[in-house]
Amino acid sequence: MKGVVSPGATNVDGKDSRGRGDRKLHGTARCRAARDVGVGEHVIEVRGLVKRYPDITAVDGIDFDVNRGEVFSLLGPNGAGKTTTVEILEGLRDPTAGEARVLGEDVRSGYRRIRERVGVLPQDFEPFDRLRPREAVAYWAHLFDHAVSDRDVANIIETVGLTDRASTFALNLSGGEKRRLGIAMALVGQPELLFLDEPTTGLDPGARRELWKLIGDLKRKGRTILLTTHYLDEAEQLADDVAILNHGKIVAHGSPSALISQFGGGTTIVLAGARRGGYEALSSRGIAAELHGIDVLVHVPMASQVRPLLAKLASIEVPLTEIYTKRSTLEDVFLKLVGARMEEGVLAA
Amino acid sequence: MKRILADVTAFGRQYLRSRVGTFFALAFPVILILLFGAIFSSSGTPKVPLAVQDLDSTFASHGFVQALNNTTLITYQAIPTNVNFQDYMRAHSINVALQIPAGFQAALIQAEMGNASAKVNVTLAGDRTQSSFGIVYSAVAAVATAFNLKVANATEVVSVDESQLTVRQFGYIDFFLPGIIGFTVLTTPLFGMTSICAEYRTRRFFKLLATTKLSKAEWLAAKVVFYVLLLFLSVAIMMLVGVVVFGMQAALTPLAVLLIIAGTFEFTSLGMVLGIFVRDPGTGEALANAIGFPMMFLAGSFFPIDAMPPFLRTLARGLPLTYINEGLRATMVFGNDGTALTYLLITLGFAVVFFVVGARGLSWKSK
Repeated sequence: MKGVVSPGATNVDGKDSRGRGDRKLHGTARCRAARDVGVGEHVIEVRGLVKRYPDITAVDGIDFDVNRGEVFSLLGPNGAGKTTTVEILEGLRDPTAGEARVLGEDVRSGYRRIRERVGVLPQDFEPFDRLRPREAVAYWAHLFDHAVSDRDVANIIETVGLTDRASTFALNLSGGEKRRLGIAMALVGQPELLFLDEPTTGLDPGARRELWKLIGDLKRKGRTILLTTHYLDEAEQLADDVAILNHGKIVAHGSPSALISQFGGGTTIVLAGARRGGYEALSSRGIAAELHGIDVLVHVPMASQVRPLLAKLASIEVPLTEIYTKRSTLEDVFLKLVGARMEEGVLAA
Repeated sequence: MKRILADVTAFGRQYLRSRVGTFFALAFPVILILLFGAIFSSSGTPKVPLAVQDLDSTFASHGFVQALNNTTLITYQAIPTNVNFQDYMRAHSINVALQIPAGFQAALIQAEMGNASAKVNVTLAGDRTQSSFGIVYSAVAAVATAFNLKVANATEVVSVDESQLTVRQFGYIDFFLPGIIGFTVLTTPLFGMTSICAEYRTRRFFKLLATTKLSKAEWLAAKVVFYVLLLFLSVAIMMLVGVVVFGMQAALTPLAVLLIIAGTFEFTSLGMVLGIFVRDPGTGEALANAIGFPMMFLAGSFFPIDAMPPFLRTLARGLPLTYINEGLRATMVFGNDGTALTYLLITLGFAVVFFVVGARGLSWKSK
């Protein structure tokens, strides 16, 4: 079980969270000393979390857990409630209702203790323009009362791959380098949990891939990371566990592979350039197909059916440029669950 | 404490690396001193209005008033002889007035004839806490001394019933420099903090800082410490320019140092209070200008408050900068530390109120 999901949300394990009875945090979780959160235990526990404004309910009764050592992704379009949720967990906003615990501490009463143990890269992070990365990292460490040597600072900067730019004013860093600096600042206290709020938004593809590598490295080193993103490929690439958020509610929750397996529609065989003639040829033989531009798509729900169907298609004389299989992605899952595609965080019809 | 020092260091680096900030904190006050000093140094101390009631109305008393006029320190206006001196001052909002008693000339004649017991007191009335009182006192005392020396053969016949002020030869720069220090104490932290609050809000630095252990009070304290250090550097440069270029007499006293610290604390905190209402750099700039510019002119940074119309003088008494300007002049120019101490306490009172309001009112968290 990856975690508890919101009432009404679809859990890939097939269990309805309503059936789990008590939506409050259990007494043992409540009383658990913050330092006692161990390997495999939940570092974040959220139950019935609500954030309501006069004109909108930004977060509408969500539940989820984040396990130690995993990358958990809140995935959704702009305005879905991702940042509001994260800022509640960081102690930067007060929830309207519900419960949230981070590292065993209640976010309402224990946010000061939480801050000592987490690292935060806020949305749209910008560094202080006239500080160099090595100065910014040392400054940030002091704000957490961490005594850091020049060597420690150099190590952190090396971790994020900014060694060559350590003495450059932040003003002159590229967008990707600025985010790396933000991650370096978030890492100064050796935090048990990292909040990365849309770390790659607005970056070019190259910089995004570099950041993915960095986040992947941090994950391999055992960091627990809560990642918000509206990039489906980012969540699929990095996350162990994904909660798809829309209009303040979690609409699905599970590992990317489980979500794809359940909602992605299996595998698609693409007959590139087969055009309408190919589509009609397949239809006349009773093969369900879909014309998509000049390509003909054949959806195969089960992996075991792919090979025999390929053999069957190969026997049909259809003019085409190539034939290949395409595995479903989170994009297909998102489309199916939300009913719209997402481009740069905006829902498109 | 370490967090405050870390913030002072980081903020200081950024500030001093910004040419605009450095220019306005260090170079701009010097430019003002050089400009105003060059324009007004030849005209001596700015003139202060002095009302005189001449109850003697003789050749000698007219000569005394003429001598006062010749000092170029005052502009003379007469008080009718048939009115009560104090009542007239109150009714006409006169800050400083001189009364020459009947028998003034007779006492001088008696002294010239060798009567050692001949004495006459001229009365200088007014608010001793005002810088203008010190200027007038120095003029009256100097004229009285001249009368004693030349008219009464060095026998003290004419005396002024005030004694604590040391009379110096003041130049415009002596009056002007404390005002420029006050001006810098106002503008550097107030404009700086308002702009910083706007930038920190729009660029989400407040939210970033809120994820650390640094408290708002610590952040504000760090800014106060930095601006105090910066202003000491600025004042040192100003004093150097004043002494070297204009031969300034005014000295930086311990109370002046305390006033600079308290003033910096006050206006840094006021900047944070304004920061509560600032949402973007544009409104920050407008708000700082709306508060700062009238204050720098009305609070007597560039010319005496006494030269203003009565209603503006009343308004000036409500402005925090007035007490810094007047306090600095009281201690640096006139050696009136009692007044300076009073104004220091008023400034600290303002500062504490602004600090508490700023630290409580400015929110780093989101709603």
